[in-house]
Amino acid sequence: MRTRLAIGVLGLVMGAFGALRFLQLDFPDMVDAVLWLAAGVVVHDGVIAPLTIALTVLATRVVPSKARVRVTVGLVVLATVTVSAVPVLGKLGERPDNPTLLDRNYLVGWLVFAVLVLLGTLLAGPVARRLRPGPGMRVSRSPG
Amino acid sequence: MKRPPLPTEASFTSPLRDERLTARIGTWLGVCFGLCFLTGLISHWYYLNDAPLLPPVRPVWGYRVTQGVHVLSGIASIPLLLVKLWSVYPKLFGEVPFGKLRPLLLNLAEKASIAVLVAASIFQLATGLANSAQWYPWSFSFRSTHYAVAWIAIGALVVHIAVKLPIIRAAWVGPLPEPDLGRASGREFEPRVEPGGEGASDSQPELQPATSYGGPSRRTILRTAVLASGVAVIAAAGNTVPLLRKVSVFAVRSGEGPQGVPINRSAKAAGVLTSAVGPAFQLTLANRDREVTMSRADLEAMTQRIHQLPIACVEGWSASAQWTGVRFSELLDKVGAPGDAALRIRSLQTRGAFAVTELPASFARDPLTLLALKLNSEDLSLDHGFPCRLIAPNRPGVFQTKWVTRIEVVT
Repeated sequence: MRTRLAIGVLGLVMGAFGALRFLQLDFPDMVDAVLWLAAGVVVHDGVIAPLTIALTVLATRVVPSKARVRVTVGLVVLATVTVSAVPVLGKLGERPDNPTLLDRNYLVGWLVFAVLVLLGTLLAGPVARRLRPGPGMRVSRSPG
Repeated sequence: MKRPPLPTEASFTSPLRDERLTARIGTWLGVCFGLCFLTGLISHWYYLNDAPLLPPVRPVWGYRVTQGVHVLSGIASIPLLLVKLWSVYPKLFGEVPFGKLRPLLLNLAEKASIAVLVAASIFQLATGLANSAQWYPWSFSFRSTHYAVAWIAIGALVVHIAVKLPIIRAAWVGPLPEPDLGRASGREFEPRVEPGGEGASDSQPELQPATSYGGPSRRTILRTAVLASGVAVIAAAGNTVPLLRKVSVFAVRSGEGPQGVPINRSAKAAGVLTSAVGPAFQLTLANRDREVTMSRADLEAMTQRIHQLPIACVEGWSASAQWTGVRFSELLDKVGAPGDAALRIRSLQTRGAFAVTELPASFARDPLTLLALKLNSEDLSLDHGFPCRLIAPNRPGVFQTKWVTRIEVVT
């Protein structure tokens, strides 16, 4: 308990230092930053998370259960890595005077990435079955 | 029309969610946040002019590595944070214990600390990611805001660790338990209905045999989150790791550019007038009232040195290149600058916060520091800082002043 208390106090001190720095920002900057802070939570909790759950529910109806593991892995990798690439996919910082910035064909890159994920998802099952044949497999077809 | 009821914590029925899974993903995320925070502090230190202790001049690739790690650990955090938030999303709808004061206050305090942590974490990753692509869709100053919120995020994280420490400890004892199928009663992961078999029965979920669950194990979810994090890093790292240039499909820069090196800020964006860099260009060296002016031809007439030095920018990209030019300390000797004097470097650029920067004596007198005239054996292109630019070891790119026009001793 003493350890936890010490860690907690340390966290509060660090956070308070950040809050002090934050309060030193110019007022219009601070308002804008507060809006951005809130927007991130709203976009995640109000859009991304419900969409993820809706997609999961849909997937459990559509995807055959023997492929669920592979499809889950594939979709999580595809979706989360795509989120990390939003600024490049949209070429959002592009400038006409600097051709060395955002200078890849990101759409083609994304398609290649998506095809690789798809191939991985399709092939993972047969490959795993070859490597681990027999009744020791985790996903059994018999109803128990 | 009847309004559907608000969801409660029990509305979320995925058998995968479990605090031990959350804690393990959280541990990975915590490592990434810790790395990101420490390398961010290092970068902040490199940007300070008045630090009591100056950054070292060696290794030459120091900032290249720390800032590369900073941006990549941030990118690694994105899949981990998304999966972690998925794993705790039902808690958002958890019951608030109205009626009793103490539990209510504790509950609200925890909710508030989590709100701060989530808001600050998303903010840091989103603004950092946008900055790496030089995209600024906001009006606040990136540097001071990203720095302030970094402390808020890490402070909230440390508080969170203190609160959850028993759960974190327990999560790392033994293997992750398999999904609790007693909870799998319907919406997100329905137990499989066997053709001709009895199938899922909502009234007796505990009778459902474990083998009929077709979904992934918790261990698979954890591994998937770590895998996605690794893929995101590899897809972006070509920015700074030359070996990965070809495979990093989401790198902000291909690594190509005039003379084989990308440009962070063009002459046009910096407001450098072409008239100012013509034949009339002169570099002024000043030590109090002693001044020497030199043309580019004068600089070319001095002993030329060739050094391999990286240029590494705060946005997380870097490139090593061969620079040719005059040793900086030999220029300073022309006006008898004291060996321990800091220098003020003025650029011809008319826009941007770094038109005038200070160069500490340790960097100015380092034998590797050059006033470069050539890049990869060609005359500097205008966007690389023609007629001459500073290149020093282990400094953020923004201090590698381009279009240098005046170097003066700070008195």
